[in-house]
Amino acid sequence: MTLFDLIIRSMRKNVKHYYLYFFALIFSTGLYFVFSTLQYDEATLKVMASDASFNTAFKVAGMLLLFIVVVFAFYANQIFLKRRSKEIGVYQLIGLTRKAVARLLVIENILLGLGALLLGICGGALIARLFLIILLKLIGFAGMVNISFSIEAAIQTIIIFSLLIVLTSIQIVRTVYNHTLLELFRADQQAEHPREKNSIISAIIAVMGISLIVYGYSLSGRMTEDTLLLDMLLVLGSTILGTYLLFRVTISWLFCTIRKNKDGHLGLKNSVSLAPLMHRMKANANSLTLITILSAMTLTMVAVSYSLYYSAKADTRAQMPYDFIFENNPQAAKSFSKELEKADISFVYQPIETVKLLGKVGSEDGKDSMLLLPAEQLRQSGIDVILPDQGQAIHYDAHANMNLDSDKQTYPGTVEIEHIGGTTTLELTQLVVKNAINFNVHGNQYVVSESLMNDLKEKLPRADFNEVIVLDTYQIANEQARAKAAELYEKYISEGEYMPNFHTEYKGYLQLFGIFIFIAAFLGLVFLIATGSILYFKQMTEAEQEKQSYKTLRQLGFDVKDIMGGIIRKQLFVFAIPLAIGLLHSIFAVKAAKVLLISDITVPSAIAMGAYIFIYFLFAVLTINYYKRIVKGALKS
Amino acid sequence: MNQSTTQSTVLHAQNVRKSYGTRSNVQQVLKGINLRVLEGEFVGIMGPSGSGKTTLLNVLATIDRPTEGSILIQNVDIAKMKDAELSLFRRDKLGFIFQDYNLLDTLTVKENILLPISLGKIKKKDVEQQFHTITSILGIEELAHKYPHEISGGQKQRTSAGRALIHKPSMVFADEPTGALDSKSASDLLGTMEDINKKQGVTIMMVTHDPVASSYCNRVVFLKDGTIYSELYRGDKTRQAFFKDILNVQAVLGGDNVDAI
Ligand SMILES: Nc1ncnc2c1ncn2[C@@H]1O[C@H](COP(=O)(O)OP(=O)(O)OP(=O)(O)O)[C@@H](O)[C@H]1O
Ligand SMILES: [Mg+2]
Repeated sequence: MTLFDLIIRSMRKNVKHYYLYFFALIFSTGLYFVFSTLQYDEATLKVMASDASFNTAFKVAGMLLLFIVVVFAFYANQIFLKRRSKEIGVYQLIGLTRKAVARLLVIENILLGLGALLLGICGGALIARLFLIILLKLIGFAGMVNISFSIEAAIQTIIIFSLLIVLTSIQIVRTVYNHTLLELFRADQQAEHPREKNSIISAIIAVMGISLIVYGYSLSGRMTEDTLLLDMLLVLGSTILGTYLLFRVTISWLFCTIRKNKDGHLGLKNSVSLAPLMHRMKANANSLTLITILSAMTLTMVAVSYSLYYSAKADTRAQMPYDFIFENNPQAAKSFSKELEKADISFVYQPIETVKLLGKVGSEDGKDSMLLLPAEQLRQSGIDVILPDQGQAIHYDAHANMNLDSDKQTYPGTVEIEHIGGTTTLELTQLVVKNAINFNVHGNQYVVSESLMNDLKEKLPRADFNEVIVLDTYQIANEQARAKAAELYEKYISEGEYMPNFHTEYKGYLQLFGIFIFIAAFLGLVFLIATGSILYFKQMTEAEQEKQSYKTLRQLGFDVKDIMGGIIRKQLFVFAIPLAIGLLHSIFAVKAAKVLLISDITVPSAIAMGAYIFIYFLFAVLTINYYKRIVKGALKS
Repeated sequence: MNQSTTQSTVLHAQNVRKSYGTRSNVQQVLKGINLRVLEGEFVGIMGPSGSGKTTLLNVLATIDRPTEGSILIQNVDIAKMKDAELSLFRRDKLGFIFQDYNLLDTLTVKENILLPISLGKIKKKDVEQQFHTITSILGIEELAHKYPHEISGGQKQRTSAGRALIHKPSMVFADEPTGALDSKSASDLLGTMEDINKKQGVTIMMVTHDPVASSYCNRVVFLKDGTIYSELYRGDKTRQAFFKDILNVQAVLGGDNVDAI
């Protein structure tokens, strides 16, 4: 038998083990190719050229993708090698030299890798169009979708994955050369045996793990702007370390305590779940930590970007209650109104007279530029504002939540305004987290009664900082009409002037967040598949290792259902605990990231997390089915 | 046998056949076995390698299904039982001692022994009581919290025996329980099995290659090529005398190395 025969034979025999590894390789190649294709696509290039942040987002995402693909390939290869270590030992036992065995495995690896590369690129080319359509749809690009096979993307993919094949081959050679025959034969029955550890020290470290996580959580809720970077690093560090300790010590300690209390009366379910888990905790702590962190990252990324996308409209509206505004420019307003009428666009027009002045808010030393807005006029235009009493003011600020400053204004507070003949002190009753007028109008926004504003207007001394501003506001209910109006509005904006309008602003956000959500979902998918597959591979290996136990249990008279009960409990632990902790991490991360958003993000976050959990659990179901097959067939082998 | 009038039948196999392989290549391993085991008997099964001993044991112990024939255990026809019923039956009524122990690596000695009653609703106190009785008979009381990898082969086999007995089965099946033990450990274990058989009245069926081991039995059944070749009853004979008889039959039967002792 030649070496080649042997390769073909072993590949055929191992196809059951291979197909998953192979599929995982194809998948990562395919997705990588799709990503590179999008990167080189003309339509995306055009969009990217228009905004530097797209470019950066794509670059960062590409790097993350590469990172996860490499980690995943290494991990999968490692698990795969471990599963086959007995086979590697047998080859050496029947007289093949290490060199020959290494060559055999490397050739296999290259064949597999090249096959995956080819299939991945072909498959990727097929689905790239779909992804491009999704992307362009998300960013609201209206043009024709036209995509051709991208040679650049193919070359990039080939280079990256060839390197990956080389690296995994090196990993294979090292495994063959660095392990003795005995180690190879024992690799799949290498159960650790939990020793009675010093329970006090374990308990202390166990509590420390939890404390670190709690510390990270609480710090994430009170990060301040000055020490943001340091705080973020501290949060990350303490939660990651805490998570590791949780898996490595806390849970083992908990298990040990539970088991000790059972005093031998473990019951079948625990015998199939708790006991084998305890014996693998050391080996599994790393991967469970990795999976928890990856899950947390993915969940946060997806939840935040989906929330941004989902809330784009509401957030823009909160900052810009009016669609169009002219500031102290009645001629332009008049002409704009005429044009709108001519174009048959129905609109609500309302001129609003406001007063800009300097005032002392709260106990602060300096004075702030304040924009007093008359509640009656705002209401007349249909804006929902509270009508304050005489002598009261209400603070409107869409960005209030994004303010990380520790010395925040408290409500109720006071506002002091100096004027001719004395000082008027207004009671600042409350803060409303939205704008009363578009954000581009300067000054902090305070809504007061019309009479109060007029009263103050009379008393103000003539100065630069005191100013009466007349705003001509427009609201257009129909979205298409609004888009048309936005075009008409264009020509009133003179060079260097900043006159944003709702429609354009909203479209801009949508485009930016569309890219975000696309990249997040894309990466999330890859992360999810990587973590799911790693867990699945690991559990497959464990299931094989435990086959003899299941056989014995079946012989002793436990039926498949009894044993599966225990296995489901074990899978629940393996899958649900990292997910639950990851989820908890991400909830706190999302909470910290809430400063980016104005609207409430509970709903979009929950939707994104729900989708993630759903796909994640598909892997758990797959794994449980695999176990079921093993348990069912246990008596027959 | 004058005993048969007072003892009831625990197991009754009639014309049991078992074949392996595909339609084109059938290998008949058991070729019509008739066997009746009475309550409280200690039956040995001997025969050359490949004669079908393990197969017979598995079929009788409901781990495997016969191709043909009927098996009644305590007058229940196990052929008519569904898989789930069989499992329950095994768990309740039967005990197993395997040649290679088959202990669960991740469980301690105590946890392993208590496995068969882990689904039952026996009170914890009673379980403890039961556990103490059995482990003291087997002499493994001190090992309760050790893992299988920390104890010797003989101790493992005794643990396996403890697991086979903890739920007070009506019948215990043992496949070469002494196969991996030295003669001292082997005779210890056999002595305990004999004790349990006599004092607790547990019916035992044991497959063995070893004439010394089978000399502990009341009766030895010799298998050859899937049929019962001969049977020997110990009666009132001493163990030594019975051992000689067994050697004689084995010499005729051939196959196994007679000069083991
Ligand atoms: N699952 C199986 N599939 C096919 N043939 C089998 C199977 N199990 C056993 N056999 C065959 O049945 C015959 C009897 O096997 P069995 O294991 O019962 O022998 P044994 O008497 O226990 O031998 P030993 O003393 O070596 O343990 C052998 O020829 C074996 O090849
Ligand atoms: Mg056998």
